[in-house]
Amino acid sequence: MTIALQATGITKRFPGVLANDHVNFTLKQGEIHALLGENGAGKSTLMNILYGLYQPDEGEILLNGQRIQITSPHDAIAQGIGMVHQHFMLVPPLTVTENIMLGQESIQAGSQALGPLALLDRRSVAKRIRELSQRYGLAVDPDATVQDLTVGAQQRVEIVKALYREAQILILDEPTAVLTPQEADDLFVILRNLVAQGKSIIFITHKLREVFAVADQISVMRAGKMAGSVQPAQATRELLAEMMVGRAVILTIDKTDANPANVVLQVENLRVQDDRRHTVVNDISLSVRAGEILGIAGVQGNGQTELTEALTGLRKVVGGQVTILSQDTTHVMPRQISEAGVSHVPEDRHKHGLVLSFSLRDNFVLCTYYQPPFAKGIEIDFPVLEENARKLIKMFDVRTPGASTSAGSLSGGNQQKVIIARELSRPVKLLIASQPTRGLDVGSIEFIHRRIVEARDQGAAVLLISAELDEIMSLSDRIAVMYKGHILSTLDASTATREQLGLLMAGIGGAEPHAPAQRSGNNRRNGPDSPLEAMNV
Amino acid sequence: MSENRKTNPFAPFLSALGRALGMPALALLTAFIIGAIVILLTSGDLLAAPTAYWGLIRGALFKQRGLSESLVASIPYVLLSLGLSVGFKSGLFNIGVEGQFYIGALCAAWAGQITTGLPAIIHLPLALLAGAIGGAIWAGVPGYLKMRTGAHEVISTMMMNYVAFRLTEYVITDKLRDVNSTTIQTPSVSPAAELWTFAAIPQRLQDPLNALGVALVLALLTALVVRALADRPDWKAKLGARRGLAIGGSGLLAGLIAFVALPLLTNAWWPFTDAYDRLHTGLIMAVLAAVGVWWLMEKTTPGFELRTVGANPNAARYAGMNITRNVVLAMAISGGLAGLAGTIEVLGVSICRCLPLFFSSGYGFDSIAISLLARNDPFGILAASFLFGAMRNGADLMELSSGVSKYIISLIQALALLFVAAPAIVRWMYRMKAPAGEEKQAPLTRGWGG
Repeated sequence: MTIALQATGITKRFPGVLANDHVNFTLKQGEIHALLGENGAGKSTLMNILYGLYQPDEGEILLNGQRIQITSPHDAIAQGIGMVHQHFMLVPPLTVTENIMLGQESIQAGSQALGPLALLDRRSVAKRIRELSQRYGLAVDPDATVQDLTVGAQQRVEIVKALYREAQILILDEPTAVLTPQEADDLFVILRNLVAQGKSIIFITHKLREVFAVADQISVMRAGKMAGSVQPAQATRELLAEMMVGRAVILTIDKTDANPANVVLQVENLRVQDDRRHTVVNDISLSVRAGEILGIAGVQGNGQTELTEALTGLRKVVGGQVTILSQDTTHVMPRQISEAGVSHVPEDRHKHGLVLSFSLRDNFVLCTYYQPPFAKGIEIDFPVLEENARKLIKMFDVRTPGASTSAGSLSGGNQQKVIIARELSRPVKLLIASQPTRGLDVGSIEFIHRRIVEARDQGAAVLLISAELDEIMSLSDRIAVMYKGHILSTLDASTATREQLGLLMAGIGGAEPHAPAQRSGNNRRNGPDSPLEAMNV
Repeated sequence: MSENRKTNPFAPFLSALGRALGMPALALLTAFIIGAIVILLTSGDLLAAPTAYWGLIRGALFKQRGLSESLVASIPYVLLSLGLSVGFKSGLFNIGVEGQFYIGALCAAWAGQITTGLPAIIHLPLALLAGAIGGAIWAGVPGYLKMRTGAHEVISTMMMNYVAFRLTEYVITDKLRDVNSTTIQTPSVSPAAELWTFAAIPQRLQDPLNALGVALVLALLTALVVRALADRPDWKAKLGARRGLAIGGSGLLAGLIAFVALPLLTNAWWPFTDAYDRLHTGLIMAVLAAVGVWWLMEKTTPGFELRTVGANPNAARYAGMNITRNVVLAMAISGGLAGLAGTIEVLGVSICRCLPLFFSSGYGFDSIAISLLARNDPFGILAASFLFGAMRNGADLMELSSGVSKYIISLIQALALLFVAAPAIVRWMYRMKAPAGEEKQAPLTRGWGG
């Protein structure tokens, strides 16, 4: 195989940080090259250099054997390097066609004379999009409006956008972070198609399972250096994890059997609507006892978000009852629920979990700032806040220059640690953790998982909502599968298998023989209740 | 700005200057330089700009009562900008401070003239309170509407401005018109409700009730200062359990001394002897308001809530804060300060000590610029308000002495604001590097989506 792209001795310094330290990276023609590394390892810096967003301080880049300089993303695209960002660069109200032609508008023949008023040639672009999607197996409808598409489909639009600009090398920045397991599998098929037809792909991730599923070559970065490059056949998960973190990582959680005690959370016949007033939590009943972890598995968008919000008081309950420690919390304010001993790790750490412009010191007391010892009367005791921040930073191993650093300047893993630290540092009777490790690196995931199990062992009831089946299976004592607003079945974690759960997540096995769930809100059906729900505790 | 090439010999000097002055000062300096260029281009006279600026400085500081008048002009700026800054920090753009200023003035004019029988110790606080409450309600309503109906506060407060202007006109010309006066205005307020000028203090203090009022205020202030000091570690250790005693005792002592000694002392010697000097005690209120706003926003739990709601309302809700209550509170504080500014203009500045029909101010809109220039920092607002007040006051003498139109002041202020809002321009001019981490956003409110 020929070498498509070679970067040698790439060094990039930022004030106080050596982001890339003489990194060598070789991408062969027609391969999927996974680039693994923890947050802050330098993957993004390297890719941004290849995509022309940064200029390297040292080192050179060879494209097809020619030494090149990439001065801007525009330049990168011109040289055949395309990038699909983790956060999509699409304009939601425009159609797929319009998004793809944006910046490279085609003009209808004969209308050039109109100058800036020339008519857009949507038809030929749409035709080309159909060709591309057919050729590479990307299901993309050129006439759909982007905001109506699922996350997976939006990602396909981004890929088509790069292909439309004739990219030969595709850089995918954490493409699976936003996808469900099914969507990720679909993506891998597409990637295979792409390389089969001569494209080369750099695939940035920190999920080990995916690397084995899709990569031809694996390079691992750690602390700005290239830690090594191996082929999947010669690698094991443990080896890769160790290369990433620099020490042996325990990938499986060893936890003792649960000792369930009294019921802490009791949910009966709960009904919740989403913002569009569709019933997305439909007659759910469940209970969680002190000292056990109930995992809620399910493809995202099956009502988990709304369920969590309803339990924590952030969303109105339409019907049913929620009882926390024999206190009716169905229609109370979030503050009362929090004061009843409920800690909540929210699904979206930027939207709900943190005030990014505030210091860590202030974020650590976001929910308790008004209580002693943090406040005396209406005055906040800042020395106590400082002390609290120092303590939590140390206890939860938050990597930060100090307590006065703004939360927004930390990496995702450290931000999540701040939230976990805050939520576990007050007396916890019930921990509701929603997607607690989404988008995090191996080291942080390991850490957060241990803390959740620790909270359980100290007698907290834990409700864990996650789209990561691995996470659900390794942490939960019991597993409930949520599908289209219902709980299809609740299984004992020790006997549940991946296949069994996967089928339930797709709606098979309950009384709901429907196609796999679309995104949230598409749920307009009020079908017969599942007989399996009777099994719910 | 001849520095275009990368081999600019001035570059090191410029960037050193830039670092030393900081962004707002640089923005101002640059605005004055461009202002000078404009004066030069329009007059064709090399000396025009120096003459004009010298006239501006003399007018603002050195002419007779120049400094006093500059301070008088900056007092409403301080209160209005503080009000705006509370809104900005809470994620709200209270563009209606001008209307709240009018309503405050109207309420104070009404409360000041209801009777002449009350002593100042009651009537003055009452009139101040009336103005502040009027402004608070005028701003609180749009805050409530925002939360109830989603009406954006920029639209609703701007509309409330017009309601305020016309309502004030109606009340002045009809309901509350001074029938004994030839001009259209409200009746003058009771002398007891007037805000004291500095020159009048010795005479005012001869009334024991007034002295008592001043003593009470001083006692409270002393106690607050001692209380703040008592939290310092070295004092804390020394005071121990006697903290309460120290605070109460010092306050009482200061009050007693003030009550007994101040009337005598001020009678014997007082620096403000010019009876026509309009500098009034609103200055002290403005400075105290700045300290108060700083304390409220930075040191207290309500301030923490307001800032959280402003920075991330979703997180605020997650943290159990009541968004509606906080938005209404922020608007009410903002409007209350604006109302107080109007109050002070009526009780302390207007010649008739009343609200005349033609009570044009324009203070409110300038204050938006001031709070942006000061980046919503209360003490920055004190400085920026003085600057704007001084420029407003000095502009006349500038025009008189150099022939340069006084509207060049607006140009300079607008440029300064532009540079503060777009720091990249200034950084490019002075060869400064962008600060590490994310650029601190100009503290405007979030988008129109609410």
